[in-house]
Amino acid sequence: METLRDAFDFRDFSKPEKVGFVIFTLFLLVFPWLGAGSFVKAVVIQFLLFSLFGMGWNTIGGYGGQVELGKAQYVGIGAYTVALAMVWWKIPFWVSMPIGVLIALGYSFIIGYPLFRLKGHYFAIATICTSLVLQDIFINWKLVGAAKGIELPIHEHPDFLYMQFKSDTYYFYFIMALFYVAIFYMNWFRKSKLGYQLRMIKEDEEAAESLGIDARWCKIKAYSIASAFVAVGGGFLAVYNLYIDPYSVMDLDLSIKIALMAMLGGAGSMWGPIIGSAFLVPLDRFLGSWLGAHKGLIGVDFMIYSALIMIVSAYQPRGIWGIIEQFRKR
Amino acid sequence: MAFLEVNDLVKDFGGVVANNHVSFQIDQGEIIGLIGPNGAGKTTLFNCVVGYHKPDSGKVIFKEKEITGFKPFMTNREGIGRTFQIMKVTAGMTVLENVMVGAFCRTDDRNLAKVEAAAILGFLGLDSLRAYHLNELPIASQKKVGLARALATQPELLMLDEVASGLNPKETEEMVDLLKKIHRDKRITLFLIEHVMEVVMPISQRVIVLDGGEKIAEGLPKEIVKNERVIKAYLGEKYAKSL
Repeated sequence: METLRDAFDFRDFSKPEKVGFVIFTLFLLVFPWLGAGSFVKAVVIQFLLFSLFGMGWNTIGGYGGQVELGKAQYVGIGAYTVALAMVWWKIPFWVSMPIGVLIALGYSFIIGYPLFRLKGHYFAIATICTSLVLQDIFINWKLVGAAKGIELPIHEHPDFLYMQFKSDTYYFYFIMALFYVAIFYMNWFRKSKLGYQLRMIKEDEEAAESLGIDARWCKIKAYSIASAFVAVGGGFLAVYNLYIDPYSVMDLDLSIKIALMAMLGGAGSMWGPIIGSAFLVPLDRFLGSWLGAHKGLIGVDFMIYSALIMIVSAYQPRGIWGIIEQFRKR
Repeated sequence: MAFLEVNDLVKDFGGVVANNHVSFQIDQGEIIGLIGPNGAGKTTLFNCVVGYHKPDSGKVIFKEKEITGFKPFMTNREGIGRTFQIMKVTAGMTVLENVMVGAFCRTDDRNLAKVEAAAILGFLGLDSLRAYHLNELPIASQKKVGLARALATQPELLMLDEVASGLNPKETEEMVDLLKKIHRDKRITLFLIEHVMEVVMPISQRVIVLDGGEKIAEGLPKEIVKNERVIKAYLGEKYAKSL
């Protein structure tokens, strides 16, 4: 009960935040009826998906302050579980997705246990390595489609059990629902014992240990929560794209994007990952399609993208949300 | 039976023997001072007891339970709190939140932790600082927050690493009063490393002296200041004469 009350209790946010949140929610609710084109719809779906990833990453990376750059492997685990279960045994999405989350949780404990012996840069490098190793295994593993990946069977009629729809609108509302579950979860998490303990670990790990906090165990728990979040998103990705391969769902590029968006928006804050994703996903897609279409300008989008990230992080390490708070304090 | 017992403890940092066969006992309810010149091995001894270092040999026994080699969070759960000589001054959490983290050591309930933390801040007279961040506070207040944080874990033995360093005489006096209050009202055994004689001499019931990693003396403050070896090693004759 207490948990539920905490999750839905937004009273400690400032008024602009609350108003913004309500307006944003209303906008999302009516968005599919605003007549946006399929490209814009796809961008918004992508934005919600990356917000979900970012909020997950925020537990260990933001609140816990650990530079975690291996989230893609859990996107992969979620996506592959859903895809393979469907192709091999015709298991519906609603069964395979939770199984994928459970596998991700189990795997994250196994990986997390040795991983959190490391700290700082070594930890960051190790997270990248674990993800790359899993990607390599999947690239070479014939049984799961190797580098070619897996195509999901397309059903003739829309099928809720298998999450197959003709219209993007259904996918939109589904990912939106997941997005809100994530928001409520994070609203609880930031007030939970684990949330406080992680923040203390981020502040001063030595002091945290002296206050009875088992830092390593806390980090493993947060890492697993993050992995579960990301695996949910991975499952969605499989049914949404109907095609996955190790390059699209397990790439280092994806891991870095997840961490980067959350950091740019403001790691360790409630809205940071959402803001970061709202900023970078459209930028990424529009710049890519606009500049990429011009001969001689290919790659310029990456330069603009990187420059923005550098400017924000040089100006305020706590990201866009940090800048907003800085102005509010004045 | 002793409350805290350190038996023949050795910590060797590969060449530098920081603690060389140190043994002592502390009884429940005592206030013990640990003094010695820089590099005598005081903080290392603390770290060995609390678990930041693993002793090379020797035993640490707390409440008749051997805790040698326990991790810091485990010794804390056994009932040993500690403060640090140098606190990391951070901007991420308020004073109240800092103390709440300490209180979370004994409860899972956020509201309970908050009540507990507020009570401790009140006890230490820090009510007005609740909403500040550590980096906004003067050093004396920071040290008190460190104290509050450790107290929130409800320790039976509190180990204080130079609580008075960097404080002016008035602040030092306040800190001494605070320590007395903690000892009196909360019945917590205090074990303190201290350089500031104005702190150590008036409140310690016994003093242990380390020099070069070895225990060179132990006794009442009055006796310690007259001990030849101690004077030579650490105090300087001037201070001893003035007492």
